[in-house]
Amino acid sequence: MIFEQLAGNLVQGLVLGAVYGMATMGLSLIFGVLQIVNVGHGAFIMVGAFTALMMFQALGIPPVIALPAALILGMLLGMVIYYAAVKPLVSPSGSGIRKPSGRDAGIAVAIFISLMVVMRFLSGYYKLHTAFSIFVGLLFLYGLLLYVYGGRRQEKAAELATLLVTFAFGVILEEFVKQLFTSEARGYNWDIGKLDIGITVLPYTKLLAALGSVSIAVILYLWFNKTRAGMAMRSVVEDSVGARVCGVNVDWQYALSFSLGIGLTVTSGVLLTMFIPVGINPYMGGPYTLKAFVIAVLGGLASPYGAFFGGLVFGLIENGSYTLFAVIPGVEPFALTRFFSFLILLVILLIRPTGLLRAK
Amino acid sequence: MALLRCENVTKRFGGLVAVDSMTFEIDSGELMAIVGPNGAGKTTMFNLINGVFPADEGKIWFEDLDVTNFPAYKRAHLGMGRTFQIPRPFASASVQENIAIGAMFGSAGAEINVERAMEMADHYIEIIGLKKHRDKPAGGLTPTEKKLVEIARALAMKPRLLLMDEAMAGMNPKDIDGMVSFIRHIRDTEGIAIVSMVEHIMRAVAGLAERVIVMHQGALLVDEPTREALTDPRVVEVYLGHPPEEIDAQG
Amino acid sequence: MRRAQRYYPIIPVLVAYAMLLGYGLLFPGKWQLVAQLAFYCTLGQAFNLFMGMTGYVDFGYVAFIGIGTYGMAISIYYLYDKGLGLFIVVIGFILAAIFSTLLSLAVGAVALRLRGAYFAIATIGVNEGFRYLIEGARIWNGADGIIFSLHLKKAVGRETMMVLSTFWADVLVFTVAIAAAVLTLVFMRNKVGYALMALRMDEDAAKVMGINVTKYKIIAFITSATLAGLLGAAAWALKLTYIYPVDAFAIHYTVEAIIIVLLGGAGTLMGPIVGGLIYGVAKYFLAIVLPGFQLLIFAPIIITIIVIFPEGTVGILKKRVMGTALQKYII
Repeated sequence: MIFEQLAGNLVQGLVLGAVYGMATMGLSLIFGVLQIVNVGHGAFIMVGAFTALMMFQALGIPPVIALPAALILGMLLGMVIYYAAVKPLVSPSGSGIRKPSGRDAGIAVAIFISLMVVMRFLSGYYKLHTAFSIFVGLLFLYGLLLYVYGGRRQEKAAELATLLVTFAFGVILEEFVKQLFTSEARGYNWDIGKLDIGITVLPYTKLLAALGSVSIAVILYLWFNKTRAGMAMRSVVEDSVGARVCGVNVDWQYALSFSLGIGLTVTSGVLLTMFIPVGINPYMGGPYTLKAFVIAVLGGLASPYGAFFGGLVFGLIENGSYTLFAVIPGVEPFALTRFFSFLILLVILLIRPTGLLRAK
Repeated sequence: MALLRCENVTKRFGGLVAVDSMTFEIDSGELMAIVGPNGAGKTTMFNLINGVFPADEGKIWFEDLDVTNFPAYKRAHLGMGRTFQIPRPFASASVQENIAIGAMFGSAGAEINVERAMEMADHYIEIIGLKKHRDKPAGGLTPTEKKLVEIARALAMKPRLLLMDEAMAGMNPKDIDGMVSFIRHIRDTEGIAIVSMVEHIMRAVAGLAERVIVMHQGALLVDEPTREALTDPRVVEVYLGHPPEEIDAQG
Repeated sequence: MRRAQRYYPIIPVLVAYAMLLGYGLLFPGKWQLVAQLAFYCTLGQAFNLFMGMTGYVDFGYVAFIGIGTYGMAISIYYLYDKGLGLFIVVIGFILAAIFSTLLSLAVGAVALRLRGAYFAIATIGVNEGFRYLIEGARIWNGADGIIFSLHLKKAVGRETMMVLSTFWADVLVFTVAIAAAVLTLVFMRNKVGYALMALRMDEDAAKVMGINVTKYKIIAFITSATLAGLLGAAAWALKLTYIYPVDAFAIHYTVEAIIIVLLGGAGTLMGPIVGGLIYGVAKYFLAIVLPGFQLLIFAPIIITIIVIFPEGTVGILKKRVMGTALQKYII
């Protein structure tokens, strides 16, 4: 009985794990290329979830079709964040202070504002608050100050600063979405039938989500290994100085990979809602940030494929441990599963921070 | 008694053997240099000596104490000082504070309180001649001044062995002369062994070392007095590559 | 510098807290605001002791406040009928200190071996992880939390309880703030401070200089965590007389701590007070004018500070007063 249940849950876990894996590739890509941990990771997943929700509810577009839209939205968001706040902090050439040009600041502010306008237009029927003008005003001010003073790269602080900046952007997104949609949990219902495989029942939406995740991972793999653009990015991961010497525009690769990383993360938010179409709220990202860290560390943090396989493993661990905890009387299996995943994180960090799945 | 003794010290990074079974000794008060072209494993050797990372194989003794498994800070307490190729003074701390930190945590650190460390710092500031910059943040100094601060910081630790990583890289000839006589002066007055790391053997001849160890591809090539090493055919080959006629033959 | 002179910077800190306390005492109607400001200043002071001095961000910091709150709650909840009177509050503080110290030791044992990004990854789940442990294993009533107002009332009487949670709890918060500030200055003026300064700027160089970086990081981490535990016991447990895991481990408070420290200037003594006052007052007025918007407004300000003015308010002020008579008072 329990074994049958375990088997069924493990199948579910594997399918969910594929989505988890895809949801972590963006994090690993950004870390691999820029050595930046995106602490606001979950907030970008949340943005994807809301994209799927809005497209489905307001426009009746099925989430599968929303994937490219989410990718584009995410990449735009990534570009903006990179040029507005990451580039002034990191120095791609690895030497000296790199001040952003006025054009960088200008482009960032312009894109951000137009994004605001688009979002305001899209959500026209929601009551918008005067605080938005203050918020937008602050962004203007930021652009202006950046133009006048330039970014300050400090000695060791660059790493600390990038952590805080990505964290702050996560907060901005959460608060922004909260103002648009309130903090109540939402959901949508996209029913296209189920597949009964005996030990468990899999709705086609879940299978589609897993299939989508695997396809994206494969496309990414082909892109990295077969196309010029992908290989240029890979060369930056392996040796940024060498890549520069070989004529790769490292600065642009940094921007592109940050943007692609965020784009993938937002896209994964759409896939996750296909798996779990309820509980969509502005603060839903927190647990996903934690899960993504566990997965990324499992897979070796800097490798998107490691992350994908880490996701599969994590899906199995999560569902397997849930099934086992559910047997123990007097505990909350759901909460305990989350604690367990945190424990895994600590154990891996303790014994092998470079990743369990990575060959030595 | 040797001050430092390394026996078959080996370090690998993945498949690359960065330091390959190095065995050598350094005596108290000796002025020597580890020489080798870029990538020969000099910096790795330095890092192994002062414990930035552990050796994969082999043993290291310092004053007859097995320090193989000691972390960097313990080796510093025992009397190993270190400077870096690109000087790394604590940028927003003042020159005085930088040097005082060395005194506070160095080999006599346990008995030195903050006030005493500041007094000691003043003494070393006199030696390096940077009195006018005493209260300025070290990050704002010129590269040569930063280098001096770093040396003073290491000296304030009262080391018995000072490891100097490319002490003269990027300096103009006048500064190099000054630095060489300064290093010799330190050795004579403080009586400590100084190991300099230099890329080209010609620099070592400039008076920096009485003995050289030449490293090539992670392994020890020669260990002999500087004068002899200069004309050693093995050393010449490392630096000039193949004899000229072979190069011609290969086109 | 003479010995006494080196401790002059505590004067403006004490003056600031005395003025804040005095304001609250003179205008009882404003006591709530004063209490809130004191909470933010204390949060900043305690957080700064680790983040400001080491340059590491502990994203799970709120867990220490939460566990301290539980320490006080447990003492009152289980000991109220033992006839100990007000002594259970003392025991509560002791428990809060012990719990937060133990948790920081456990977290520190894993996280402090790790550098930079890995440290952040290790800490970001601490609060969530701990919350789910309490809920999942149903420790201390699990998700139902501990409601102990009746217990406190039975233990010390209604009158005392009222004064305790509306007045003395806040005074105790002030005490924690001053303790944190004094500890910060003592650290800065002793070897600990220099070791932390060195490892903040260049950890590898610090190691080579003979600094046992792990030891000093642990000292700062535990001190900061214990102060957070005491803050939780005073500002949350005694004031609210209930505790739910979902509130006690909300990452929201870590966000506020980061904002306060950065606004004021990380690693400065006065910074947390300035940051706490700016943030507290702004939040107070924003709550009236634009309720629910404070984080949306503060997040861009924080990005501005990180990217363009990393020294924070006091850091900039410190540069300004360099070479003037004020120099020895502001750090």
